[in-house]
Amino acid sequence: MRGYHDIGGDKAGSIPRVELPWLHWEKQVEAIRNLLGDGTRRIISLDEMRRGFESFGEDKYKALSFYRRRLEAMTDILIEKEIISQEELDKAVVEKTILWNKQKTEDDQS
Amino acid sequence: MHNDHENHSHEDHDHQHEDHEALVVEDDAGNLESQIIIDALQDVLISKGLLTAPEVTKEIEKLESPGVHLGAKVVVKAWKDSEYKQRLLSNGKSAIQEIGVAVGEAQIVVVENTDTVHNLITCTLCSCYPRSILGQPPSWYISKAYRARAVREPRKVLSEFGLDLDEDIQLIVHDSNADMRYLVLPMAPDEAAQLDSHDLEALVTRDRLIGVSR
Amino acid sequence: MSTAKAARFAIGDRVRVLDLDKSGHVRIPAYVRGKCGKIVQYCGKYLNPEDLSIGKTSGPAFDLYRVEFTQASLWDEPRNQSQDRLIIEIYDHWLTAA
Repeated sequence: MRGYHDIGGDKAGSIPRVELPWLHWEKQVEAIRNLLGDGTRRIISLDEMRRGFESFGEDKYKALSFYRRRLEAMTDILIEKEIISQEELDKAVVEKTILWNKQKTEDDQS
Repeated sequence: MHNDHENHSHEDHDHQHEDHEALVVEDDAGNLESQIIIDALQDVLISKGLLTAPEVTKEIEKLESPGVHLGAKVVVKAWKDSEYKQRLLSNGKSAIQEIGVAVGEAQIVVVENTDTVHNLITCTLCSCYPRSILGQPPSWYISKAYRARAVREPRKVLSEFGLDLDEDIQLIVHDSNADMRYLVLPMAPDEAAQLDSHDLEALVTRDRLIGVSR
Repeated sequence: MSTAKAARFAIGDRVRVLDLDKSGHVRIPAYVRGKCGKIVQYCGKYLNPEDLSIGKTSGPAFDLYRVEFTQASLWDEPRNQSQDRLIIEIYDHWLTAA
């Protein structure tokens, strides 16, 4: 069996020689994953996160950016392991969205 | 996006007419959505006492601090000190820690370029990289095109980076698929003995440490 | 790096990568499965990523080797030279003597 992430030797176009900035949310994804996997916490390992993005479906894998894949896989595994629940995360996302929209409105008015 | 297998003949060496393999990036909406999700996740984890906001801030600083400057320090030390170079080649992690770099990886395998050998590093399964030394991998390193092609047609990949490797040189590709992480030790310039460390460090680029430059 | 006396293979041994039909998370890419190469380094014992991926952290640890292949044995690419090589890490349970 060959996973959709197992692409060594596949035909592909020229290398996109781009150097993109590393965004804050991307750093935050890496930082939180590192903390959750450290020696004192041991909540989620790198291989568990990899299993997450290797099993969430090829279409999703191909559509997401590198760090978004890691974010989605991390939340999937945390929910699977019942460290957090989908409801808790959804509720926090709603709260953060409201906060962000409020912030944006204030910025637009100032 | 079409299927490359069906639409491209194997003999197609014309770079200009070859499809550019676009990197998958988030648009503005995707970046905002991602920022909101990770902030929300952080809140939930904090509320459960699993981590704290200062820990996240400190970890981000830790992620931002490594870079090519650390790799350059290692390389120049090896260029100037042949005993250090031997230690570096036999146990990369302990030799790199010797000069005060905190290495998070299980082991660092340092592979040496010579007049007759050139090394190239890739990771076909994800994007493994010696992050605690060099920081985050460049965007092209995590691209599908680099991951797919570096193992199979490395000389063609090198030409795209402007390096036309002599046919007599042995090219060794390292797929960092498991627990080791890799660093290329580039060749010292002829005038290494005359240059000070600062000038030598300026010659060590990230691309030379990955092997897409010689 | 150390050489473990208990390790099944020694540097220079010819090995074949098994084509284990495993589902789930594995770190041995398809392009080396079934291929013959040569042990060039013993890396030590490491926990199996197949176990780690499902939260099993108790081991056992497996011997890990760096295995070298000629590029010619992996693919038919005209630009690869006869002396060109590829080196990849393979856990003991994916290897057999060749």
